[in-house]
Amino acid sequence: MSGGRPQPGEVLLDVTDLSVEVDTVRGPLRLVDGVSWQVRAGQTLAILGESGSGKTVSVQALTGILDMPPCRITGGTARFRGQDLIAMQPRERRRIVGDRITMVFQDALSALNPVQSVGRQIAECYEVHRGMSRRDGMRRAVEMLDRVRIPAAASRVSDYPHQFSGGMRQRVMMAMALALDPDVVIADEPTTALDVTVQAQILELIAELQAETHMAVVLITHDLGVVADVAHDVVVMYAGRVVERAATLQALDSPVHPYTEGLLRSMPSADLKGLELPAIPGTPPSLYALPSGCAFRPRCPLAVGACADVVPPLLHVGPGREAACIERTALPGVIA
Amino acid sequence: MIRFVVRRILAAVPIGLVVTLGVFALVFAMPGDPLRELAGDKPIPASVLAAKRAQFHLDRPFLVQYGLYMKDMAAGQFGSTFDGQDIGEQLKLRVPVTLRLALLANAFQWIIALLFGTYAGFKRNGAADRLLMASTLFVLAVPLLVLAFTAQYVLGVQLKVLPVSGAGAGFPQSYLLPAMALAVVGFAGIARVLRTSIVESVNSDFVKTARAKGLGEQRVLWRHIVPNAILPVVTIAGYDFAGIFAGAVLTESIFNLPGLGQFLFQAIRLKEGGVVVLLSMLAFVTFVLINLAVDVLYGVLDPRVRHG
Repeated sequence: MSGGRPQPGEVLLDVTDLSVEVDTVRGPLRLVDGVSWQVRAGQTLAILGESGSGKTVSVQALTGILDMPPCRITGGTARFRGQDLIAMQPRERRRIVGDRITMVFQDALSALNPVQSVGRQIAECYEVHRGMSRRDGMRRAVEMLDRVRIPAAASRVSDYPHQFSGGMRQRVMMAMALALDPDVVIADEPTTALDVTVQAQILELIAELQAETHMAVVLITHDLGVVADVAHDVVVMYAGRVVERAATLQALDSPVHPYTEGLLRSMPSADLKGLELPAIPGTPPSLYALPSGCAFRPRCPLAVGACADVVPPLLHVGPGREAACIERTALPGVIA
Repeated sequence: MIRFVVRRILAAVPIGLVVTLGVFALVFAMPGDPLRELAGDKPIPASVLAAKRAQFHLDRPFLVQYGLYMKDMAAGQFGSTFDGQDIGEQLKLRVPVTLRLALLANAFQWIIALLFGTYAGFKRNGAADRLLMASTLFVLAVPLLVLAFTAQYVLGVQLKVLPVSGAGAGFPQSYLLPAMALAVVGFAGIARVLRTSIVESVNSDFVKTARAKGLGEQRVLWRHIVPNAILPVVTIAGYDFAGIFAGAVLTESIFNLPGLGQFLFQAIRLKEGGVVVLLSMLAFVTFVLINLAVDVLYGVLDPRVRHG
């Protein structure tokens, strides 16, 4: 099953029913609750949600880099081309994570080792996973820096992270993540710390490299603009659960879940010029005191009494569309 | 690099002058006539007193005295103490004593600090960590004086396992007790810094990155955590040396070790300005050189300092 280049459209990473808890002094706390998604070769999946919604925790759990303890995976599978990463021994998993599945983090300044040159950090991938010498690794590092369009790559390879600008540093992270030509790249808010123009450049770079290599990209973000630009599929998370899943353009045109709808409405646009920007009332719930039933209920304009009874399951609402709302069980157009 | 070293040494010159001048001023300001006190109740002929005053420059104004001491020192003419001992000879005898004490104390304190700090850092909030934190707090609160006398009493007088005082038993027996006293006081601070620094490094984002690269735990530890965690510890290594020297003044006096600290203590008591200036200059130069070495090392270890 594994091995060989993935076929275009092949499901590379298939997460099913993933749940993560953390032990706190006040008892266990559920951070991720039954999350499922999949990503295919050559495609981009966006995981959208506010901070604390469990996006980062879920991907760190499946790659095994989450601090366990205090966190704990309480259920689910994450199959990379059929092999379950969660059931694997760490030694086995390290052959996949870091080689076939790599990660890009939000703040490249703190995510890069400050006392190692960027070249050595990239070369380390080749040394560890390909058994190359440091000299060959460094040569490949120069090629990678060149590939992510860092000017004068040959001379910059021995520079340290603090000597790069924010955008260039994020390119270094990308070079490191793409060094081994991975099948899946998980990018955790890769553009959040950057200004808008640099953001666009980085997203463009990801898209270009993806077109060359047919890698799958899992893009974690809270930025709807980013989703609209690059994602093929989107998964919306709220309080540790998936509340809506769709092909992007559909979700942006016709959101089903009231939370997604609220997010879309609160996105600044030219049409709203001069008007007050609508916001979702209230704040995300504390995981210590989740409301019964639907976690979005206290902020939801559609909430009815029954919303407090059970946690709404993800329901099929249309072709390739799922949403977890008992008041919205069909696409908006269909209701009308 | 050479420019950096030269600049640092040049910058140290005025500081050295101010430090030694300040120390000398304090000695000068002490009440009483040093030579008369040295003679005790015995009457001294005025001519002898005048000759002695001239020999030790005591008949000159304050700044001139200081200047003459510095000139003698620069010329390598250390002269003799009030009671006629050759200062050059004394240094030759005493420098090795203090050096042995300082090195042994440093060895003790760094070994304990590195072991405890590293272990506590990795097993934070475990039993060993809590014990370490409590004990360092205790040690930091107990003055060296109390600790030294207690050690002397328990290990020397009661248990008789180590000599109570003096250098008679030679190295290392005579040095163990004072070195341990110094090390116990010094290790606590280093261990705490190391512990915090390891906790910080272990939880930093770049360690997550290293794990996400599929590196083994040993490689994550030695290539990524340790090189970052030692930086704050290297910084304190420099000024910790000052603590060892200050501690040596006290420890050598308590344990009657004939080192530089004891020499300085005696010189201050007798108001021997020349000796005090000489010894504080020596301490200062050593301090500057050690800190220079630490700064150079720091630049090697941390590129952010190198380019800063």
